[in-house]
Amino acid sequence: MSDSLLTLRGLSVWFPIGDRLFGRKPMLHAVEGVDLDLRAGEALGIVGESGCGKSTLARAVLQLVRPTHGQVVWMGRRIEELSLGELRPLRRDLQIVFQDPLASLNPRLTIGEIVAEPLRVHRPELDSAGRKREVADILGRVGLSADIINRYPHEFSGGQCQRIGIARAMVLRPKLLICDEPVSALDVSIQAQIVNLLKELKRDFGMTILFVSHNLAVVRRLCERVLVLYLGRTMELAPTDELYERPLHPYTRGLLAAVPIPDPDVQPARLGTSLGGELPSPLSPPSGCVFRTRCPDATAQCEREVPVFKAAEPDHHVACLRWHELRPQNRR
Amino acid sequence: MPSTPATADLPAAGHSPMTTTAAPVLEIEDLSVRFATPDGEIPAVNDFSLTIRAGECIGVVGESGAGKSQSFLAVMGLLASNARVAGRARFEGRELLGRPAEELNQVRGSRLSMIFQDPMTSLTPHMRVGEQISESLLRHTSTTPAQARARALALLNRVHVTDAERRLDQYPHELSGGMRQRVMIAVALACDPVMLIADEPTTALDVTIQAQILQLLAELKREQGMAMVLVTHDLGVVAGIADRVAVMYGGRLVELGTVRQVLKMPHHPYTQALLRSMPRVDEPADAPLVTIQGQPPNPRRLPPGCAFHPRCEQAQERCRSERPPLVERDGARFACHFPIEWGAPA
Ligand SMILES: Nc1ncnc2c1ncn2[C@@H]1O[C@H](COP(=O)(O)OP(=O)(O)OP(=O)(O)O)[C@@H](O)[C@H]1O
Ligand SMILES: Nc1ncnc2c1ncn2[C@@H]1O[C@H](COP(=O)(O)OP(=O)(O)OP(=O)(O)O)[C@@H](O)[C@H]1O
Ligand code: SF4
Ligand code: SF4
Ligand SMILES: [Mg+2]
Ligand SMILES: [Mg+2]
Repeated sequence: MSDSLLTLRGLSVWFPIGDRLFGRKPMLHAVEGVDLDLRAGEALGIVGESGCGKSTLARAVLQLVRPTHGQVVWMGRRIEELSLGELRPLRRDLQIVFQDPLASLNPRLTIGEIVAEPLRVHRPELDSAGRKREVADILGRVGLSADIINRYPHEFSGGQCQRIGIARAMVLRPKLLICDEPVSALDVSIQAQIVNLLKELKRDFGMTILFVSHNLAVVRRLCERVLVLYLGRTMELAPTDELYERPLHPYTRGLLAAVPIPDPDVQPARLGTSLGGELPSPLSPPSGCVFRTRCPDATAQCEREVPVFKAAEPDHHVACLRWHELRPQNRR
Repeated sequence: MPSTPATADLPAAGHSPMTTTAAPVLEIEDLSVRFATPDGEIPAVNDFSLTIRAGECIGVVGESGAGKSQSFLAVMGLLASNARVAGRARFEGRELLGRPAEELNQVRGSRLSMIFQDPMTSLTPHMRVGEQISESLLRHTSTTPAQARARALALLNRVHVTDAERRLDQYPHELSGGMRQRVMIAVALACDPVMLIADEPTTALDVTIQAQILQLLAELKREQGMAMVLVTHDLGVVAGIADRVAVMYGGRLVELGTVRQVLKMPHHPYTQALLRSMPRVDEPADAPLVTIQGQPPNPRRLPPGCAFHPRCEQAQERCRSERPPLVERDGARFACHFPIEWGAPA
């Protein structure tokens, strides 16, 4: 097993919301008590419904939003207390790709300038010829030709813009690449191209990937482990095929059952098996297990007791009071 | 065979039988939609023909710009002002295209309803939910306001809105996205339409909420015998409830058949490529993900011949110059010079 590149300990991110209530602003717990070890060289998927805290968690890793509680340990060093100036040199190793490819590229800069920008900041020793070489090299690696450097973002399709965004993030050869819904805005045929590109880059450069997505089928193809979030809390963490074939948490089971499969022999029977209800307000989460209001297996105990996120099996963590009784028995 | 996740271990349910003998509800023939722009004309939809029969659900799939939405907006008379329409669209035997707005309004929202991806664009923001549903009833039927309110409540319950009584007096922005889509469906159902056109009704929703809405649509189709058009880019969505599937590419229908014909034994290389490039959640991590090179065509610059030829692995010389006609075989239709052969149908 490889070493931990990034460790989150009891990470919480709270946002103050709206009006003062009895002199105090209510707090929205977007991320609550997350423990996670990200291993060097792995691709870890973060999944869960909209609003469950995926982006906030990713942003907290980058210190784009500061944690309210807990620690963010990057290569052995606590970074949640560093000033912006102290963080700057670390940014070279921590890069991000966003969901909306066009909106994340500055429309007034050429593709060459966009991709070269991180080099100007973090590798000042490079002269313009050196920068040009690096830019051409990374553009080639993401499947674009180097002669696009004088063109502007609006001249490119969504898929091409996403390749440009990936080139900009990869030009410094970061140790960690965070992808926040990088394929969600793209056409189906283009999604597969980008997933395969990320796989190739990971194989060639060996970077670690934190892959945020609501598309569980895409996550399965790309990631070695998957973390399931609900209302900002970790529900389950396991190696990918293990999680998809033997999910231990009722929420994971519900999520997986909801993903449509393009096969008329399989899909009609799945229609009625998904989760009922909707996400409760994060401002007043349910007592006990936060999932209990939608859990088909909830009991009175689940109302009172908060399940601890712990190892059910080696390398398989789950936060459910009943995982043991509910576990699929006669499966491999 | 890919292993199926534990949660999918349920007895297989069949699709409703093909309704080839049922009466046609909507007959679209040679529909074309062109947009006049300062840079010339955009052929968004070309020679599109499709018949939808009572009680059947047709899934219409394709990537962005394929012409899915414009085809059905044309039928509804809801195209932008720079659009030019040609062809025919008969609904319950009466021509819709070219009809004056007042006449169309009698059909729209009563016999024929449409719902969209973003309910916020079709719900009126400053109008209570109950009023929005009643409005359609008061406009199309002879109902008293009290009856309309009672019916609105029944409809909200019908689409499984929780706490329906209270929701009647709420505004759209006070509801979640899934709840809004349910309200939108309730509005569409108000006058017992014989046909519902749903354009990406679940695209903006979480998978869990999407599954709930799809389940609701399947239930409405089953219990009310409503004909349905489900426009989507997700082949998984159509697999669950469509009886037949139409595949569009570059403004044209390129394949049409039963859901099984199209998703299990497609004749068109584009359909097959689309299926292969879509990862399935029940396939292991190391399953291959075949990509389609290039990108969907811009309708301003459609490639000559077969519009798919620059991306097609089967393409030959003829594909570059000669557009393949839509041909029929075993009740399925496809437009390809060199279709995929599957041997005798099983
Ligand atoms: N700056 C902010 N101020 C207040 N609340 C916020 C802020 N950012 C996020 N939130 C809230 O925190 C919760 C988590 O949001 P987040 O964006 O992390 O979710 P997500 O899982 O990324 O959702 P999505 O899938 O929609 O992108 C949500 O309830 C959101 O409304
Ligand atoms: N008012 C307009 N003027 C010019 N072109 C238009 C107009 N409205 C639509 N189009 C073009 O018509 C083509 C077909 O659009 P349509 O909305 O039918 O695509 P679609 O298949 O529904 O795609 P999507 O999946 O993105 O919704 C597109 O290229 C679009 O840009
Ligand atoms: S703790 Fe109870 S409510 Fe929570 S997931 Fe487990 S069974 Fe369901
Ligand atoms: S006509 Fe030619 S290019 Fe078009 S789909 Fe068929 S084989 Fe491919
Ligand atoms: Mg997000
Ligand atoms: Mg559309």
